[in-house]
Amino acid sequence: MEPPEVATELYVLLSAILFILGTLGVLLRRNAILIFMSVELMLNAANLALAAFARQWGTLDGQLLVFFVMTIAAAEVAVGLALIVAIFRTKKSTDIDDLHLFKN
Amino acid sequence: MELTLFIIVGAIAVVTAVMMLISENAVHSALFLVLNFACIAFFFLMLSGAFLAMVQITVYAGAIMVLFLFVIMLLGAERLRPEQNPRFPWMVPAAIALALIFLVTVSLAIIRGEVGASSRQIEQPYVRAVNAVDQLEAVDVYLDGALIAENLAYGEASAFTPWERGRYDITLYPAGAEEPLATAKVDLNRGEAISFTALGTRADPLLVVADEDLRGTDRSDALRVTVVNGVRSVERIDVVRGTDPVASEILIDDLPYGAASRPVLITGGTTDLSVFSDGVRRDRLMTFSDRTLTPEQGHLWVFTTRARPDNSFDNVFLSLESNALPSFGGPTSIGLTLFARYILPMQMVAVVLLVAMIGTIIFTRDMLAPRRVFVRRLANPPAELQAPIAPEAASRSSLEG
Repeated sequence: MEPPEVATELYVLLSAILFILGTLGVLLRRNAILIFMSVELMLNAANLALAAFARQWGTLDGQLLVFFVMTIAAAEVAVGLALIVAIFRTKKSTDIDDLHLFKN
Repeated sequence: MELTLFIIVGAIAVVTAVMMLISENAVHSALFLVLNFACIAFFFLMLSGAFLAMVQITVYAGAIMVLFLFVIMLLGAERLRPEQNPRFPWMVPAAIALALIFLVTVSLAIIRGEVGASSRQIEQPYVRAVNAVDQLEAVDVYLDGALIAENLAYGEASAFTPWERGRYDITLYPAGAEEPLATAKVDLNRGEAISFTALGTRADPLLVVADEDLRGTDRSDALRVTVVNGVRSVERIDVVRGTDPVASEILIDDLPYGAASRPVLITGGTTDLSVFSDGVRRDRLMTFSDRTLTPEQGHLWVFTTRARPDNSFDNVFLSLESNALPSFGGPTSIGLTLFARYILPMQMVAVVLLVAMIGTIIFTRDMLAPRRVFVRRLANPPAELQAPIAPEAASRSSLEG
């Protein structure tokens, strides 16, 4: 079988870049919803690397892991957004800096 | 071409991710993220994960992002506060430094670790044996001393068996005998489906290694055919659809005796098949009329002759059909793996989903519960609450009066 035109390294590099952007979003933005979206971006970057390695090794295990990650992400989004809504009810804000409970 | 597409779509993915991060409006951020997810779905397609790409679009870009937009709209939180007076001023340089360190580490790992150099593995080759040796009722076939077919009758094939990759010696014995009839060497590589076809006569046997292609086809009316030539009377044969040597569609051209063709993709249906000798004189050697070619299968055709007691020959056409393997990354193969090897993780994920659902319901209940109590208390206040209300109401009314 001939080697693929786009090497696995390129996919891993792109995945790393997207993951870093997601990390920066989590660390630097202060809006809870945006932090959540950045987490989704990080999960997707990991999914991309998994799919690339699945092709590399010619097995489906990587693709199935992507499948599971997607399912867990869906569950996580449901719970997380419910939490955000609950916090918004009490604090009237989605800014994480307003969520310090121990210090005024 | 593929590389160009990768660069373009990769650039779009990175740009949308950056735009998502720096956008001041949460709705715009969500829409940029949808675009980013679409790019990832495109990459899944390029990585032969067609099913994943569809799930990515429906679940991520569809369901999850709609949930996000819904919450943003519900809370009216689309206007993000400009990020001023950060609580941790050292966070920005620290995060950027960490990001750069991570990028450098990954790049070093990619450069030094030779990610792409490791070969593709694991998908096992499949082997089987086919007996078409004239004047021999049954054969045994061994692969490096391991039996793959025992007492295989004429015209029969053993089932495909997964095997380890590597280099092997195949040995053909008459059934139950000690003396080998023929040997050959074969390399088994990933994903191959090899049929060891025994041809010839007892006095002059021959082992042919036919490599079939059992991958699914893109067309629902097509099948893949591999032809083995066991016709001893002529040098080379042509296999054609129909009976006319000139007007017919040539399926296999110029196949020498004892050779296996490469797999060819042909259209299915009911058809006549003829075998012609190749060369200056084109003689029709055999015709098989009204053969049904079932699509979405892999066929191995063996054309050979078999001696009758009176020294004339019967034409023999062995057509061995096997179902095409599900394509890599398609719904069938994903489903097969999911429900066979990954059934326990799938159940666990299902439990997690259930717990998430119940958790969401509990959050929402806790949010609604206090208000309901409040309403009931106002409508029907207990006695100790009624007592202070009455004098105050009386004083109010007297003041107003």
